[in-house]
Amino acid sequence: MTGVLGAEWAKIRSVRSSRYGLLAAVAVVLLAALVAWNGARIWDGLPPGERGSLSGAGPMELVAPLLQLGAGVFGVLVVTSEYATGTIRSSLVAVPRRWPVLAAKAAVVAAVSLAAGLVVLAASFAAVRTFIGDRPLPGPTGPPGEEVPVLAATALTVVAAALFGLGSGAVLRSTAGAVAAVAVLLFVLPPFTFLLPEPWGGRMAAVLPSGLAVRIAGAVPDPVLSPPAALAVLAAYAAVPLGAAAVMITRRDA
Amino acid sequence: MIEVKELSKRYGGTSAVDGLSFSVGPGRVTGFLGPNGAGKTTTMRVLLGLDAPTSGEALVDGLRYARIRRPMLRVGALLDAGALHGGRSAFDHLLCLARTNGIGARRVAEVLEQVGLAGVARKRAGGFSLGMKQRLGIAAALLGDPGVLLFDEPVNGLDPDGVRWIRELMRSLAAEGRTVLLSSHLMSEMELTADRLVVIGRGRLICDTTVRDLAARFDRGVLVRSPRAAELAEVLTGAGAAVAPDPSGGLAVTGVDVSVIGDLAARHALPIHEATPRSASLEEAYMELTAGSVEHRAHGSAR
Ligand SMILES: Nc1ncnc2c1ncn2[C@@H]1O[C@H](COP(=O)(O)OP(=O)(O)OP(=O)(O)O)[C@@H](O)[C@H]1O
Ligand SMILES: [Mg+2]
Repeated sequence: MTGVLGAEWAKIRSVRSSRYGLLAAVAVVLLAALVAWNGARIWDGLPPGERGSLSGAGPMELVAPLLQLGAGVFGVLVVTSEYATGTIRSSLVAVPRRWPVLAAKAAVVAAVSLAAGLVVLAASFAAVRTFIGDRPLPGPTGPPGEEVPVLAATALTVVAAALFGLGSGAVLRSTAGAVAAVAVLLFVLPPFTFLLPEPWGGRMAAVLPSGLAVRIAGAVPDPVLSPPAALAVLAAYAAVPLGAAAVMITRRDA
Repeated sequence: MIEVKELSKRYGGTSAVDGLSFSVGPGRVTGFLGPNGAGKTTTMRVLLGLDAPTSGEALVDGLRYARIRRPMLRVGALLDAGALHGGRSAFDHLLCLARTNGIGARRVAEVLEQVGLAGVARKRAGGFSLGMKQRLGIAAALLGDPGVLLFDEPVNGLDPDGVRWIRELMRSLAAEGRTVLLSSHLMSEMELTADRLVVIGRGRLICDTTVRDLAARFDRGVLVRSPRAAELAEVLTGAGAAVAPDPSGGLAVTGVDVSVIGDLAARHALPIHEATPRSASLEEAYMELTAGSVEHRAHGSAR
């Protein structure tokens, strides 16, 4: 198993697209910093009477979905690139029990997305706080004791998105199909919650990845989902497609 | 040692392999021949555990492939040389495979040297020529120094130098006592490389023979013309040959070599105007064997 893990790590490290992924992560931090800086500049330019009217999504609300999308696509590509190039066959011939290949990919994808997620979130957080300062703007302005659990939970949603992508990619064996599945989950379903009648809209919003981080951290009181339940839902986003992939990869012709 | 027993594989409605049985022993190159769509690749995919057989089984050293731990140490295979991530270097490509079976970086460098790619080991495989990709695929098969080797059409798209290199490599691997199964649809190539032939068509075994036996089976004798044919026929028959009149006018002589015919004629002072050995080439023999099982035959263009 350590050999298979090492191989999967080497596969990721040895292609150029992984380096572009790192660049994209840096770009997300810069974007968050830019938005915060811009917000602060506008706030400073307004007469004190109008400053209260500044509201809307904070910079961190931008970082989380971008990270989830990036991680999801990364998870997809780790497996679908092997189907697209045909290297999956050599991989499975080398490891004919097959599930260790999937397990090793999951471990490496989880570790890489967790590390990248934590670094990007921490860097964005620091940058945003620096630019906002003590202005009452939307953003992570609470005491660190309140903010850190949300950041950690957001990092977990990033990992879940990556594993959801990996599982979907292994089931669908198609980059386009699996990226579409990730995009539907992250961007298409959330607006639908506004169209559903209550209480269903609220319930659905609670269980979508976009709403899980604050619930896992216990940052919003929620009658539907306690923090442990929210964590379980998040785990299911990773476990269900991965479980399906594990069954299918061992049963289907490669 | 490879054993294929009553193997059948269906893909939906199409039967790719149908009740196929043969075995491949060590120490020689076995050619696996058949027209397009005969089921060669399918048989190899089942042998390598990539596809599950519909019925029957395919064993390597008596084991189902999926049950072999660290299979690269026992079986090496080249299925599709183009199956590469274009952005990965030749070295990294092999290292990723090697690691799964506990094979080290030193062995990777060794096989790259062996196939002549040491100079481009750090170059992106996407830029490789077809011949270089085939060499890289062969290097991957050799990584675990396995006793059983499967190569699916390794000479496809190679230049004459590359073809000769593969031929010599196959023969030397077999000479080291390994089991080598080599698929192709070209008899001309097999004739020079293989000792044994397994010929299939439409998923079924057509013949399992040696190159020598196949050549003997398609021996059509010697066409002999002589102005004193009757006397010559008598002499030849006396020496144990079978002689029949040939439709083209001469004598069709079987059972003796052309040199024996010449010697006999000289001894009896009988003039010979022509003596042509007519053994069908292996290529023709192969065409004849597989004539009934060619899947996609070209029809006349204007109909
Ligand atoms: N995955 C698949 N799905 C459906 N049909 C398949 C599949 N793989 C192979 N076949 C069919 O099975 C038959 C045997 O194919 P196979 O690739 O084994 O032949 P082959 O002997 O390797 O031919 P070639 O010399 O062209 O490589 C063909 O009719 C092919 O169309
Ligand atoms: Mg084939």
